[in-house]
Amino acid sequence: MNTAGHKSLSTRELVVGYDGNGILPPIDLTIERGSIWVVLGRNGAGKTSWMRTVLGLLPAVSGQVTKAPGTRLAYVPQRQVLDPIVPVRAADVVAMGAEHGLSFLKPFGKVLREKVTSALAEMGIDDLSNKPFRDLSEGQKQKVLLARCIAGGPDIVFLDEPMATMDIVAEREVLGLIQDLRQRRGTTVVIVAHHLQVAANLADGVLFVDKDAQTVCAGTPREVFEHSSFRHRYGDLAMGLFKDMQQ
Amino acid sequence: MIEQPTLGELWASRDLFRDPILAATAAGTILGWLGVYVVLRRMVFVAAAVSQAAALGVALAFYAQIHLATDVSPVLGAVSLTFLVSLLFMLDPLRLRITRESILGLAFVFAGGSAVAIGDRISQEAHEIGSILFGTAVLVRTFDLWLILILASLLLIGHIWTTRGMLLSSFDPDAARVQGLPIRLLDAFLFLSVGAMVAVATRALGALPVFAFTVLPAMAALAIGGRLWFVLILSACLGALSGGLGYVLAFMRDLPVGASQTIVAACWVGAALLVRLLIPRVGGLLGR
Repeated sequence: MNTAGHKSLSTRELVVGYDGNGILPPIDLTIERGSIWVVLGRNGAGKTSWMRTVLGLLPAVSGQVTKAPGTRLAYVPQRQVLDPIVPVRAADVVAMGAEHGLSFLKPFGKVLREKVTSALAEMGIDDLSNKPFRDLSEGQKQKVLLARCIAGGPDIVFLDEPMATMDIVAEREVLGLIQDLRQRRGTTVVIVAHHLQVAANLADGVLFVDKDAQTVCAGTPREVFEHSSFRHRYGDLAMGLFKDMQQ
Repeated sequence: MIEQPTLGELWASRDLFRDPILAATAAGTILGWLGVYVVLRRMVFVAAAVSQAAALGVALAFYAQIHLATDVSPVLGAVSLTFLVSLLFMLDPLRLRITRESILGLAFVFAGGSAVAIGDRISQEAHEIGSILFGTAVLVRTFDLWLILILASLLLIGHIWTTRGMLLSSFDPDAARVQGLPIRLLDAFLFLSVGAMVAVATRALGALPVFAFTVLPAMAALAIGGRLWFVLILSACLGALSGGLGYVLAFMRDLPVGASQTIVAACWVGAALLVRLLIPRVGGLLGR
């Protein structure tokens, strides 16, 4: 799918922070439709704050977030914030993705049921449909949450640390599914991650944020990895990964 | 030896006991349903805080009548203060850098303390305040019965209609917000529902059974597990049974009604925990 040149989301002079105090310098960024962006930075660097601001969950200190009218967003938070006490099956979680606005007031009809079934099938987790969400492994939970995104047919998916606490096999599976999401559906994906490797291998663009050094930089993975502020924080670690990728 | 009343005697006196049984059953049903969200959102003391707010509302109404010569209905005072406290629960605790639990605590102690302070100035009405606030559950006024029946029916319909929205906002409120669900409106509906029902039911049945109906059936249903729909319906049924059977038990064993209803509700929790321990997969079997 050729989606180059179509703007999916942009931020202009966006300052994120709390109680009117910015925690990062202003961020100008344009994310093209169908691209994968990875937001990098160390713990507490401001990655999740940036994502929550772009999603409208946190008020911006100043600046603008622009997206095309009618753009559908989906958000997968860190799995540990999902309440394990809430009694839901995997299929219930997937069905939640199909809700938009006041849709929950209408009956859950055949079309929506089919969306849930096909989303579960696309993620290869039909067999988990009736299992309680809380009983699933971390990798299975992430697949269910990706299926939830698919059920809603979003234009942009935001994933907050989707590979956290996963084993290497589950991590690879989830990364593969994220790539599929972009390739098959042309969905724009924005991932908050700690894995430099993910950025090197998967991303079209990287946003690096560093609250302590008060720096941000955005660009292709190579551009960001070569940036002085990034190298100041990570040294040559990332370039090593990048060379591996080139071999 | 004192003879215990029989079921036949209860049936013979059904005209006398029908209203309180109906009121307790209806209140138990809707409070059981709402209680699932109350327990899931870690707000079990909401009922306690709301009943203290109702006490303050009644005390203020009497104070206005006695000292300000202003005719304010005590029920209106109770409902108004309950709604005000419900609005307080709608504040986003994270933005205030506090927990929702502490907002409940604040509402509880402020309303309770103020009610006692104002009550001190209107001591001649203390008995009436107690009666208006906490009822006796033995006899229920026709007006209270109809109020409970109508409110419970409307709230049940409203909450059945919004179940999917409530589920998403309870499970993943951030995703719900991103998907454009009216989270604040749903929260407002939930808090006002709990506030209104607790205020009205407390007036008719008493504070203890109302607190029990709001927490214990939901705990039992969540312990059994299964899908949310199953948990909601089970909790509503257990709430209804707590109200009705509690009254029958009180009649048969000559117990205080509110205490008897509370004991029945607590028994569901004990039974559910036992079932959960003995048959760990019971939720999966029942809830499909």
